[in-house]
Amino acid sequence: MKRLQLQRWSGSVLSAQARTGGRLQQRLYTAIRHQSTASPAAPAGHDQLIREQPQAPSIRPSRPSQSRYNLPSPPVEAARESAKLASLHARLYLPSRLPLETLARSLVDASADPDPNFNNESLATLGHDLLTQYTSEYLVCTYPRLPLTVVFAAMYAYVGPKTLAAMAKEWGVESVAAPGGEVDPGYLQFRRLPPGAEVNPELITGTERPHEEETHWRKSVTSRVVYDNEYGDPVKAGVPPSELPEREAKNNNLGVSHEQASSTFVHALMGAVYLHAGRPAAKRFFEQHFLSRHLNISDLFNFSSPARDLARLCARENFDAPVARIISETGRKSRSPVFVVGIYSGADKLGEGAGASLLEARFRACVASLKGWYLYSPLNVRVPSSMEEEGAAPWKPVHVDLGEVII
Amino acid sequence: MAHCIAAPKRPLVALPFLLPSPCESIALALRRNQSSYRRTKQRLRVKPDASFGSSLTHTQEDHIVHNPPSSAPSVYLTPTKFLPSGDIRRNLRLASVKNNDAEALPPVVRAPSEKKYHLTPSDIREIRRLRATDPMMWSRLKLAKHFECSPIFISLVCETSPQKKEIQKRVLEAVQSRWGSKRRMAREDRQLRKDAWGRDE
Repeated sequence: MKRLQLQRWSGSVLSAQARTGGRLQQRLYTAIRHQSTASPAAPAGHDQLIREQPQAPSIRPSRPSQSRYNLPSPPVEAARESAKLASLHARLYLPSRLPLETLARSLVDASADPDPNFNNESLATLGHDLLTQYTSEYLVCTYPRLPLTVVFAAMYAYVGPKTLAAMAKEWGVESVAAPGGEVDPGYLQFRRLPPGAEVNPELITGTERPHEEETHWRKSVTSRVVYDNEYGDPVKAGVPPSELPEREAKNNNLGVSHEQASSTFVHALMGAVYLHAGRPAAKRFFEQHFLSRHLNISDLFNFSSPARDLARLCARENFDAPVARIISETGRKSRSPVFVVGIYSGADKLGEGAGASLLEARFRACVASLKGWYLYSPLNVRVPSSMEEEGAAPWKPVHVDLGEVII
Repeated sequence: MAHCIAAPKRPLVALPFLLPSPCESIALALRRNQSSYRRTKQRLRVKPDASFGSSLTHTQEDHIVHNPPSSAPSVYLTPTKFLPSGDIRRNLRLASVKNNDAEALPPVVRAPSEKKYHLTPSDIREIRRLRATDPMMWSRLKLAKHFECSPIFISLVCETSPQKKEIQKRVLEAVQSRWGSKRRMAREDRQLRKDAWGRDE
């Protein structure tokens, strides 16, 4: 596994002066990427847009005495004066190589400052990709038999926008009433949605899925891997670079929700830790803040016909057909009986469940057996990204399963 | 009331339920407490269970009492049969557990029915023809009884006519329209409970 050449493209994220990096990062941010490596000629309209912006990056840091009220977000020098930023840095136990200026930048949402050299969009793109990669490889390697829908739900629970917003709140990140250059850079800067705006549209159009207008067509779970985002939700298609300025001009009038701004901040912070402190620090940050959150994966399952699924599974794996047996019971003729039923394949018990009727106990026992199958976890799990460390042991292939039971 | 306390031969403290409530005094309540305390102590003086560890032999040593209440096994403990062949736990468990014979297994809930596989393609054509000609007469259950197979097999083989479905739907609606609120809610609750089974709640 080769290491990524960091310096080649991280410069645009780090230096505030770089002017070419912005467009690339914006293209990255529109979830679906364009594969062409040759950068197309910048459209004239985009350059005009940059020139029209009142705060050109070349003049902003050099003239701090210019009224801060004219700036869309706090200037870079303000980061050193903010007690809030310093305390947030200390509270999160961030590496000392991550400067306060970058922490301040990760708090500026694109809706507050459209300038890509001063907002956190580029950092968030990187952090988002890191978070989803680390989480998905952890889930797939730790529970190799999980059904895809459960993987989607677990991804949403670990790094979904709701979780990230809750984390930002737990970290004590407060948000501004309205963004501006004069506010403390320790606040989360974003422009709020106008009242009454629709936060979660029911039907997302403009995805890459073919025949998306046919709403009653069956959408297979596997197709959600290809067309939808990491949570299995439909996502808007990427925009070709020539249309970016129009899209931006349309979007800049609107604000973002608090949840979205908070999750972008957490993404950006992850990217900032990675860029300044390196990969081991980023992995440690991920393990300490994301993986340490408790998630009971067995609660994410929902079965409709577990007995049939289990019979199919046993047939597929060449086990004996599952048989339900009464392990113990009490009060069969009473008002509230309890049956304990076990599912046996041959002489081996696969699972057991208790219920107030034989039907319920059998159903629950089948659910327990299926969960026993799906929640298998190998010993000494290693994720592929652990090979990036120096002196890692040779890679042994992880357990790959046949997949979930399909009726 | 006073002679009521003095008259019985047995001390009245032992029969508190005979006393009317205004008779209870503070002293009486105190003595009652004492006796129940003694009784409780006596009742609690039971022989420790074997699973608590032999405290007689190792009275001096520190030991941990681990006696969890009986509960369903965790779903994170994969059954031995479900472990892949390369997993080390499989061999460890197989080595530790002795083979118990099939007679020791608990009784089955329902005896598994042998599948007969006796229907030929001509039978299936006959099933389809019967159901198409007279769907009211040849319902799923009747066909299943006639051909000695399960109703599910009939539904796999053929489908009823849309007219029959419409009639059946109307019949169901007529039956449900006679339900009162209690029966309707009880039915809905039952369905909700059933849905909770699959989520393991």
